[in-house]
Amino acid sequence: MKRILFIITFLVATTNAFADIFDRPAEVNLVVDNAHAFTHEQFEALTARLDSFDRASTVQIQIYTTTDLQGYDIVDFAQRLGEGWGVGQAETNNGIVIVYKPKTETENGEVTIQTGYGIEALIPDAVCKRIINNEMIPNFRKDSVYEGINNAVGVCISLVKGDFKAEDYGYSYSYSYDSDDYDDYSGSSYEELTAHDVLGLCIFFGFLIISVILSMRYGKKHPSSSTYSSGSYHSSSSHSSRSYGGGHFGGGGARGSW
Amino acid sequence: MKKKGCLIAGIAVGIILIGIISIVLWYIKTGNKIVRLDEGVSESWAQVENVYQRRADLIPNLVATVKGYAEHESSTLTDVVEARAKATSVNVNPEKLDAASLQQFEEAQGQLSSALSRLMVVVERYPDLKASQNFSELQAQLEGTENRISVERRKFNEVAREYNTYIRQFPASIVANSRGFEKKAYFEAQAGSEKAPEVQF
Repeated sequence: MKRILFIITFLVATTNAFADIFDRPAEVNLVVDNAHAFTHEQFEALTARLDSFDRASTVQIQIYTTTDLQGYDIVDFAQRLGEGWGVGQAETNNGIVIVYKPKTETENGEVTIQTGYGIEALIPDAVCKRIINNEMIPNFRKDSVYEGINNAVGVCISLVKGDFKAEDYGYSYSYSYDSDDYDDYSGSSYEELTAHDVLGLCIFFGFLIISVILSMRYGKKHPSSSTYSSGSYHSSSSHSSRSYGGGHFGGGGARGSW
Repeated sequence: MKKKGCLIAGIAVGIILIGIISIVLWYIKTGNKIVRLDEGVSESWAQVENVYQRRADLIPNLVATVKGYAEHESSTLTDVVEARAKATSVNVNPEKLDAASLQQFEEAQGQLSSALSRLMVVVERYPDLKASQNFSELQAQLEGTENRISVERRKFNEVAREYNTYIRQFPASIVANSRGFEKKAYFEAQAGSEKAPEVQF
């Protein structure tokens, strides 16, 4: 028994060791600063801002800074992160992912904004590009990473809240893409009652009746086993810690480099 | 004695019935799961067509914008328009996503991709065009759309793989065969498909 337990523990441990960075973390950290781009105060301020917006609107904006994109293209990285972590809610797909990779001596700095399916209509690709060009890159060039990202977050929040519309953020080219197509994207449960099912149900109930008759005629009455599952408390409702909602990302957004 | 015989017969009938019923129930359940997975593949395919359509929808505007600045490039522009017409005319039945129909779709879309990339090379010669706001908006839209295409292709392959694995495994394969569910084709990995296609302007 001990050996089996050991093997199980070992397996779990090794699977965790190979856990993908795109696997959903247990807790929400809307600012992940692997590249150490922010000071402690900046980190706290940004986290507080994003948390309160998440609470108020359920829109999750994920900031992720890194020096290592694990060989992925930055846009691909951000899309996989958003989809894997499930940034935003599953019903509305209202997540936004911003990935920042600092400029080094050998490589250009890179940044991307990826929009969840539900955000695409509110912040179209061209507007993402505009945010990157107007708010981010000029600040990043001055090494004001926090200002760049904070300003971009501000514009995203305003657009999502509808403080001003995309066209008022210097958006001239209107592309009327019907974003409704995406609304019911998240896996619909397709259940159809076919003739097979009806037949199955008939047989099932037929059997039930027969077995009841048989047991009434021949069987001794045995007390129905009282196996109420005792420990089934709804632990999730006891503490309301937020989690990533399972939002989906389809690759909308834009990139920039400097 | 007679009563005991009846009891044994009852149990035997019960066991046989349980056997038959569990097979029937399993058949139904497996069939329904295949239907659900199949529906997932169709849904995913719809998304793929959606994003390709999105690209096609961008082209008239793109062509009009480029034309305004680069009148001498009419042959390149005509190529794009023709490839677009061809690509949008290819319809794939989502019920029958076999290798042949997927390849036909791929070829038509691939021709449009290469016509578009030729256009983008030509555009390099027109700095005024590149500087225009209308064009840079279109550029951002097109980049985003190309990225959506690679995302939806990948998602389609994932869903189709799940379906194919399920219907080809024993014993679900029995149900799949008897109800005529067929294997779905995958998208070929594009050169460097792990990387989002970067549209260079």
